[in-house]
Amino acid sequence: MLQLVVGQLLNGVIVGTLYAIIALGVTLTFGITGIVNFALGVFMMLGAYVTWYLTDGIGIAYPLAVPLAVACIALIGLAVDQSLFRFTRNNLINGLIVSIGLISVIVAIVLMIWTTTPQNMHYVLPGVLRLGGVVVPKMKAVVFVVLLLVILFTYGALTRTWAGRAAYAYAQNAEAAALMGIRTGVLQAGVAAYSAALAGLGGALYASLYSITPEIGSSYILKGVEAAILAGIGSVMGSFAGGIIIGVAEGVGSIFLPSAYNDAYGLVFLVLILLLRPAGLFAPR
Amino acid sequence: MKLATAIIESAMVSIVSVAWFATAHAQDVVKIGEIEAQTGPLNTYGWMSSQGMRMAVDEINKAGGFQVGGKTYKLDLINPDTQGNPQQALIQLKKMLEEDKVKYVFGPFLTNIFKGIEGYAKQHNGQFLLMGGATQIHYELGKPGNDYLMRTWNWDAGPSGFGTLMVEDLRKKGVKKVAMLMQNDAFGHVAADIYREAFKNAGIAFEENWFEPGTKDYSAVLAKIGAGKPDYLFPGYTDAVLYDIVQQATQLGLTKFWLVRGSLGPALKNKDYIDDYIAYIPKYFEEAEKSEPKVAKFVAAYKAFYKKDFPYDQAPLCSSSCYDHVYMLVDAMKRAGTVDDVAKVKAALEGFTYDGLWKIRYDNTGEEIFNFDIVDVQKGGKISVTHEQPR
Amino acid sequence: MKFLLAIPLFFVPLAVHDNVVLTILIFTYLVGILAVSFNLIFGFTGQLSLFHAAAFGLSAYATYLSMVHLGVSFWVGALIGVLFVTLISIAIGAICFRFKLRELYFAIVTLAFSELIRLVILNWNSFTNGSLGINFTLTPTLWVPGRGVIPVAGTIMWYYLSLAAVVAAVFAYSRIVHSWMGRCFASIRLNDALADTLGINVFRYKLVSFVAGNIGAAVAGSLYSFYISYIDPNYFSLDQSLAIIAMALLGGREFVAAPIVGALVLTALPHVINVNAEARLLIYGLILILTILLMPRGIVGLLVRRRHAA
Repeated sequence: MLQLVVGQLLNGVIVGTLYAIIALGVTLTFGITGIVNFALGVFMMLGAYVTWYLTDGIGIAYPLAVPLAVACIALIGLAVDQSLFRFTRNNLINGLIVSIGLISVIVAIVLMIWTTTPQNMHYVLPGVLRLGGVVVPKMKAVVFVVLLLVILFTYGALTRTWAGRAAYAYAQNAEAAALMGIRTGVLQAGVAAYSAALAGLGGALYASLYSITPEIGSSYILKGVEAAILAGIGSVMGSFAGGIIIGVAEGVGSIFLPSAYNDAYGLVFLVLILLLRPAGLFAPR
Repeated sequence: MKLATAIIESAMVSIVSVAWFATAHAQDVVKIGEIEAQTGPLNTYGWMSSQGMRMAVDEINKAGGFQVGGKTYKLDLINPDTQGNPQQALIQLKKMLEEDKVKYVFGPFLTNIFKGIEGYAKQHNGQFLLMGGATQIHYELGKPGNDYLMRTWNWDAGPSGFGTLMVEDLRKKGVKKVAMLMQNDAFGHVAADIYREAFKNAGIAFEENWFEPGTKDYSAVLAKIGAGKPDYLFPGYTDAVLYDIVQQATQLGLTKFWLVRGSLGPALKNKDYIDDYIAYIPKYFEEAEKSEPKVAKFVAAYKAFYKKDFPYDQAPLCSSSCYDHVYMLVDAMKRAGTVDDVAKVKAALEGFTYDGLWKIRYDNTGEEIFNFDIVDVQKGGKISVTHEQPR
Repeated sequence: MKFLLAIPLFFVPLAVHDNVVLTILIFTYLVGILAVSFNLIFGFTGQLSLFHAAAFGLSAYATYLSMVHLGVSFWVGALIGVLFVTLISIAIGAICFRFKLRELYFAIVTLAFSELIRLVILNWNSFTNGSLGINFTLTPTLWVPGRGVIPVAGTIMWYYLSLAAVVAAVFAYSRIVHSWMGRCFASIRLNDALADTLGINVFRYKLVSFVAGNIGAAVAGSLYSFYISYIDPNYFSLDQSLAIIAMALLGGREFVAAPIVGALVLTALPHVINVNAEARLLIYGLILILTILLMPRGIVGLLVRRRHAA
């Protein structure tokens, strides 16, 4: 039993990190552009498909395919932002509907190109690590480390670089930031591209772990939004913690309670936390 | 801005009016309908059916149609996408029966779609035939007022059912415990009901675990199952979940799989990690292409028609409401001497064996019986196929 | 005055005999009740609730299950369904608004509750038949003078029943919106903090709006489920909630009846555009995007001039 729980704690942390990278994209987008971009889920799906296509279709080595795919998705995110989301800044409802429409459009295009047949990338790093009695697939460990590094990098960039502090300043007071000479248009476009890149990275790594179909984005964006809200929109390390909380809640919950209710465990946590701390667990007060 | 909105508005109006008024009435056409989910998470079954039907209709029409009672007919295929949504399917069926006056409808394979259209279909008993592969259809066959209904797939249970046969094979191997990990949806529960019974009769312990469709990480529930040390894992029913379940199960030490729906793809991808993978595959196409001329012809025709690779792992599903069934229907209409008399056509369908990609016949309740393969993949990818003939 | 627009609809079945068109209209009316009631919470009070599909589904299950287990007629069952949804809405609304959840947080928490309820219904196999859903064997009945009690069956009867229901719903919501309650809702929508300082009990009016909207969803649920004679847990899905939002936005947020236009477009669209499945999905997405960017006030908003300040 202890083995089961420890195993699910570890797995929950890893799975939660995938949620966290999406949550980070959600929180950055919301903080700077004022909308929740549900399309980050399909960007993740696109990241997975592009990576798979580059690796298995064209033959590029996986470690090279990932940054290529990420760059590609970042460009798409930027294009979409400038053509569509630029008109829905700070308008939550409009942004929501546009992102839902965008999801349908992108899923339709992926369906037309690759159909709904599940695709499987070849195994990049098969095999498992055995820690005590607990089994951790090697690739999952790699994914965890990569995502953790990216999250730490984002945190560092936001707190220590000029661009990052500009972003914080903007999030706190948009007008003052503009008056201070921060090019808000460029900032928003930059954040849009970066969030898409994060989602694309999530997808690129996802492709090495699971089979991919055009629908994979939907549950991830939901969990990503849950994690971002649970932690409090605006907190980078909070998104990380939020993702882990949901991942672990699902994993450990499924051990002791029926697995059929898997999705509920994260939700219950979310509701409880929001009722006790309406701004989120780690929100600045 | 205003110009753009005006353009969009007039486009919408034109699309609506064109669609409303464009009803093509061609002479000497037999309309056949297909009601399947071609997109969406559960579309594996509907997609292959629609691929096969389109080919069959195209081939028959290109050959000049078919002759019944001295007249030549062509086929018109109406195949909207239900998207797995029962409400949508209901409206589509109404359109088929009331507007297009279709008398022969293939599908659905999905149990939830069938439940959504069942009430309406029954009201039109005697006016059309509904030939679908849904497992739930089995329970409705032969009941009074259900003459419209036929089932286009093998039945799992019963004395000659493939499920019964496969469970018996397990018992002979000395298997003591099987753990099921199934989608928590309509079909999942139907399958559980059938196999709970079958395993009980064979004296094999049967454990049930459920997951929400859309799950990708099965680590928790697989770890729980593994702790119970089952002999075989009976995983969910679509490839979309099988690849992930098999991969993650082998990582956790569960290496023997037994399934009644799904392809060999997951086994081959994980061939170095599995010990045993037993599956009901209506036809193992990779082998059949080499040994059966009709199958080779079909594969070549598919590639030419769709200009895509042949989907070997999805093709076995063409055993239901697909290519063969269109040809069989045309044959039945010829034998009955009518394209309109639904009762006569049904009687004709039930009266002969069609020899196409499969040898197909219908029993007296309207359920299909056809030959199938049971494929066993072992560690390293060694494949052994057992061919079973219908009884 | 605007209700005169509804009168020609009563004569449609005399002119149109195409069952498919009538069926699409029936679905439009029933789903229209859903969209109109949602718009009370969303368009008029400014709260984005993702609970609407749950209210819709809960009432459907409650109505049928009470008919089966308590032996009551459809109308009593529907009343039970509405009462049940009212109680749950009061509970959930009280929790959300007491904790002052706003905007996105309110949306996500209502979604969370909706999902939790869906999971319960999905897994309570003994009572709700879980994922298999329930095929109805009972129908609503009407007492007609001269013919006694007859079952409501057939497209024509359902057409009039659903049309009457949607007209009644629009009337009821219109009365609410044009009353002093409606003005409180509007002030909450425009700026709820300011409304609070003006002495408006924001908690109470948000709750009233939430419950009143969900009652409409409950009525729609009872009727809709009996029309197709089938319910399953998909009634509670997020897709259903999103479709309702899309209808309200497409039709227009400013007018009580406008969401019905949205309901018509979204219901009829898949059957009017005859292209393959992927292309249809693409078109649906494009329509949503173009509507929001080019027609933010919805179709009705495009045609009718703005009357009030905001």
